[in-house]
Amino acid sequence: MTEFYATAIFLFVLFALLGCSVWIGLALMGVAWVGMELFTVRPAGDAMITTIWTSSSSWTLTALPMFIWMGEILYRTRLSEDMFRGLAPWMRWMPGGLLHTNIAGCTIFAAVSGSSAATLTTVGKMSIPELRSRGYPEYMIVGTLAGAATLGLMIPPSLTLIVYGVTINESITKLFMAGIIPGLILAALFMTYIMGWHFFKPGQRPEPEPAMSFSEMLSESRFLIPVLLLVFTVIGSMYFGWATATEAAAVGVLGALALAAMQRSLNWSTFTQSLMGATRTSAMIALILMGAAFLSLAMGFTGLPRALAAWIESMELSPIVLIVALTVFYIILGMFLDGISSVVLTMAIVEPMIRQAGIDVIWFGIFIVVVVEMAQVTPPIGFNLFVLQGMTQHEISYIAKTAIPMVGLMILMVVILVVWPEIATWLPDNIRQGPR
Amino acid sequence: MDWKPFFGLPLWFWLFVLPSLLTIFCAVFKRIAAVLFKPVWAILNKLYDLSGVIAALFMITILLIIVAQMLVRWFGLQFPGSTDYAGYAMAATSFFALAHALNRGSHIRVSILLNLNQHTRFWLEAFALFIASLTATYFARFAIKANFFSEMLNDRTQGLDQVPERLLTVVKMFGASPARWGEMWANSGTDWVYTPIWLPQIAMSFGSVLLAIALWDNLTRLVVHGSSAIKTETVE
Repeated sequence: MTEFYATAIFLFVLFALLGCSVWIGLALMGVAWVGMELFTVRPAGDAMITTIWTSSSSWTLTALPMFIWMGEILYRTRLSEDMFRGLAPWMRWMPGGLLHTNIAGCTIFAAVSGSSAATLTTVGKMSIPELRSRGYPEYMIVGTLAGAATLGLMIPPSLTLIVYGVTINESITKLFMAGIIPGLILAALFMTYIMGWHFFKPGQRPEPEPAMSFSEMLSESRFLIPVLLLVFTVIGSMYFGWATATEAAAVGVLGALALAAMQRSLNWSTFTQSLMGATRTSAMIALILMGAAFLSLAMGFTGLPRALAAWIESMELSPIVLIVALTVFYIILGMFLDGISSVVLTMAIVEPMIRQAGIDVIWFGIFIVVVVEMAQVTPPIGFNLFVLQGMTQHEISYIAKTAIPMVGLMILMVVILVVWPEIATWLPDNIRQGPR
Repeated sequence: MDWKPFFGLPLWFWLFVLPSLLTIFCAVFKRIAAVLFKPVWAILNKLYDLSGVIAALFMITILLIIVAQMLVRWFGLQFPGSTDYAGYAMAATSFFALAHALNRGSHIRVSILLNLNQHTRFWLEAFALFIASLTATYFARFAIKANFFSEMLNDRTQGLDQVPERLLTVVKMFGASPARWGEMWANSGTDWVYTPIWLPQIAMSFGSVLLAIALWDNLTRLVVHGSSAIKTETVE
């Protein structure tokens, strides 16, 4: 019975604090403190600091600010123009035309950036005006961009996967590798949708693009070379075991600085802006992680996670039912919280549960990313929606409506992941072993 | 023992009640408070940004440590304790930037209820700031306690990282009376010693205290001006 009261009190305090718009990291600390004081005799303050210090001075965590910084540098370069110019020649002849630049651009930028908001702004600031001027229907431009930007969370580097890996103590490199194939499949699903639009709504097609010779196409795609080089350096160095995730991130920062310098967009002001921006974002995530670390400790003391895992086991659910239940749970949670917060908030409870049910934790990492990706484009709180609102001046409800097909495709992605779990687990099992 | 008296009053009075009374004072005497606190706010703004710059320098330090570690490995050498140094720099980056990130609106929260209407917004914001201030103050109080305990128990690193003993003495000078400085330098060796945990933990003490100050600061600004100094990030 204590577990029941504990759950009720934890949930009540948590929702009260979050609802009153207390900053998420501090709200988690507050809930944890209430839990410690009510259910244990341990001195709350001392236990809190020990946990927070251990979690925030961890070596694995250093990948986080490095990847954030890399994204911030690239965001301030002319990368978005270059990507559009390089991609457009190849996308123009495909059914659906230049709309594919949204998907391909997001896929490529996702491979150098760990956040979906950064992916969205970088790709969108070029593709939205270009596609509009060519007469593509607005709902397709906005919808595909909102959906494809969530690839930023799935294709490595991914901040959500770093946070997940740090929270459950799993190899970040493995998680990154696990994200590659599902990310590409999801991108392919989005592209299929665009092609479907092309064939089923022929009236909405814009004028076809003028013809272009093959040599012209090749020469335009030279703009893609620097960013592709960066992608292969960062992901390749992890795949071949030359570098740990953190080291790959540092290489990525240097590479991004070099790319910016080559484009002559690197100067003192862009450098300091990217540095300060990255510092703030990383402090924001660090505060949430501090709160989550303390909350996990407090919940551990109450025995709640173990009791819940045992309860789930006693119900003898099949893993499929558990996954369906968790999907629904995360979609609801994602309506109010951002991806990283919902992951760290729930892992203390969910981790014993999935380990008990015999679900692969690497696979689960990819699953959880797809599900919180959906949360990025579902109202009332969907971060991509806010960013797109700022960029396009549309109502949130309009943007959310345009993104509904994308959410459908993501649910399809969850089904694909459940049916063929190998698409997530095969690559991490086959990477070269390197330095730890 | 956590709240033992300080100047005749329990510590929790100084940490929680006094700032609350100050806030009430600001709410009642808005004009006086605006004049009184103007220079304080100006100084604090500078302090948050300075702390943010320190955090950014530690961010560069992380990069340099990782790059050095890779170079050293390629040449087949050792960089003992590199991961621990990077971990300390990580903690310093996070903690020093906490207050700066707050004022730039980087810390996220659920703002559905906040955006309902202007009237409830003020009260909700005040309540959120108040709860956040209490939590952050509690955090800061125990961060400092842990910092002092690490020093008292002479808690050392578990890793291979070392620092020069002289650096420790320089930092310790700030916490000792000038009368003892000579004695401290006489006892300080020239060797490198395993890092005592209190040294990197200073970042946690400083950062959490500054975060608590920033939250109380924003609460007083809110009651005086009707809006806090937290700038919400405008999306480009």
